[in-house]
Amino acid sequence: MRRSLALALVAAMVFGSVQPALAYLKFGVTVGGAQMTLKWAQTPVRYFVTDQGVSGVSATDLQAAAGRAFATWQAVPTASIAYQFAGFTAAAPGRDDGLSTLGFRSRPELDRVLAATSFVVDAATGTLVESDIFFNSAFPWSVAPAGEANRYDFESIALHEIGHLSGLGHSALGETELREGGGRRVLGAEAVMFPIAFVAGSIAGRTLKADDIAGISDLYPDGDFNQALGSISGRVTKDGQPIFGAHVVAFDVARGSVVGTFSLNAQGDFSAGGLSPGPHVLRVEPIDDADVESFFEAARTVDVDFRVGFIDRIVVVPRGGDSGEITLRVVRK
Amino acid sequence: MRFAWAAELMLVIVPTLDARAARAQSPAAPQPGRFEVAIGSLWTGHQALGSNDANETTSAGGSLTLFSTSSDLASAAGLEGRVGVRLRRRLEADVEASYARPPLRIAISNDFESAAPATATETIRQFTIGAGVVWYPPYRVRRGSRVAPFAMAGGGYLRQLHESAILLETGRFYQFGGGVKYLLASRPTRPLKGLGARLDVRALVRSKGIAFDGGHYTSPAIGASLFVRF
Repeated sequence: MRRSLALALVAAMVFGSVQPALAYLKFGVTVGGAQMTLKWAQTPVRYFVTDQGVSGVSATDLQAAAGRAFATWQAVPTASIAYQFAGFTAAAPGRDDGLSTLGFRSRPELDRVLAATSFVVDAATGTLVESDIFFNSAFPWSVAPAGEANRYDFESIALHEIGHLSGLGHSALGETELREGGGRRVLGAEAVMFPIAFVAGSIAGRTLKADDIAGISDLYPDGDFNQALGSISGRVTKDGQPIFGAHVVAFDVARGSVVGTFSLNAQGDFSAGGLSPGPHVLRVEPIDDADVESFFEAARTVDVDFRVGFIDRIVVVPRGGDSGEITLRVVRK
Repeated sequence: MRFAWAAELMLVIVPTLDARAARAQSPAAPQPGRFEVAIGSLWTGHQALGSNDANETTSAGGSLTLFSTSSDLASAAGLEGRVGVRLRRRLEADVEASYARPPLRIAISNDFESAAPATATETIRQFTIGAGVVWYPPYRVRRGSRVAPFAMAGGGYLRQLHESAILLETGRFYQFGGGVKYLLASRPTRPLKGLGARLDVRALVRSKGIAFDGGHYTSPAIGASLFVRF
């Protein structure tokens, strides 16, 4: 028994979401009243590539660039996920055919959507059965090694979408500014899974960051991931009451890396794994650099009425364990 | 070499047999083979641990600073113990251990979204165990003086336990400096042969442990202790 979650998880904008599981913004599905993390039960994940190219990107280019993006995720040493190119197909992405397919589709009406990922989930087990990625051919694309001015880098956008295909949601590790005429411009991002893409011509999105690596490793832990790294957990409160949707950033002072998470339930609880042992600084901020709907279902009430702040104690991440309960108290704006 | 050993043994034995001969020595200069046990306090000065920024990547591949941090280990007083043995008239070997609880501070500033500057802190439990040598120069403040100046150098193992006791950092320390010993009482014919005070100033170099960039950091240190000689 299958049902499609009909998701559109995109690099430029998002249309919907599913309930996030605790720890990272990874997707969850409810099976038999219990929430389960959405992930592949078996690897390698076999994928097909459509045999249709677009201007400047042939089907072979498409397959090669997608292959590089898959290889980047697969190369994460602390994650066990693997992918396998299964061949070219004439089928377009988005069809419920049991095959995970990547390819171009022309969707000019989606004028801020570069690409989107959809899922088919086994409703009985909650496991992923199929995940398709479409790249909007209404935009100009490039597979040039150094990028091309005014063309979106296919490999960067594919890297983001493959993160979704693997089960990762969006990260809020980015800063943006509003553009005249609508939309946002990215000033900086420290996660491939940030929901808004860099400007056309940029290839800065080809490299996974600590946040992405922690997320994929949390979903598909490998080796000594759980023994060598640690986690933080706690809750976010305002005026003594827990708040939902606060963005918590953990900064590893020794390594200079940042990993983000959210308070994800009515108790204001947050947690994040895959952190290097050692002292961390915690920063908490409201979601204000992308649409809240990029991260959570529209029906959820996300509190954004508080100031950016830091916890006044150093949070120590142990090796193979958790920091213990941390309370982050934020102040109303 | 055999003659040298014989001479050393004579120096150990003679004072125990001949108290008058011992009195003829400077009271601040025990003979080789003598032990000295000391306990006291060690003040360690502020130690900068470097700066690091939380950066994000720009579309051009550059950096955007989300916020900046600057870390240091604040000054703290602790306990120090030492056991020394005279190898030669002017050379002593020491083993020593210390314990202190210095605060670790991370100052946060320059937030991209104008968050108020803040300081995150925790208290570290720091243990050291090491060894060193103490050298007494061949001159005295005056003949028969109870004051003995010395130079010292050594190093050892460093353990720093975070406040929540869930993570241990290890490293090394090196130190060098100098000071004086003042003999408060001298009883050459008794098993407990002397009581004195020691004051020293050192440069303390720590590596690894809580050193965020893995570098070597130096801080001043002052030790003050009481010692007994056997």
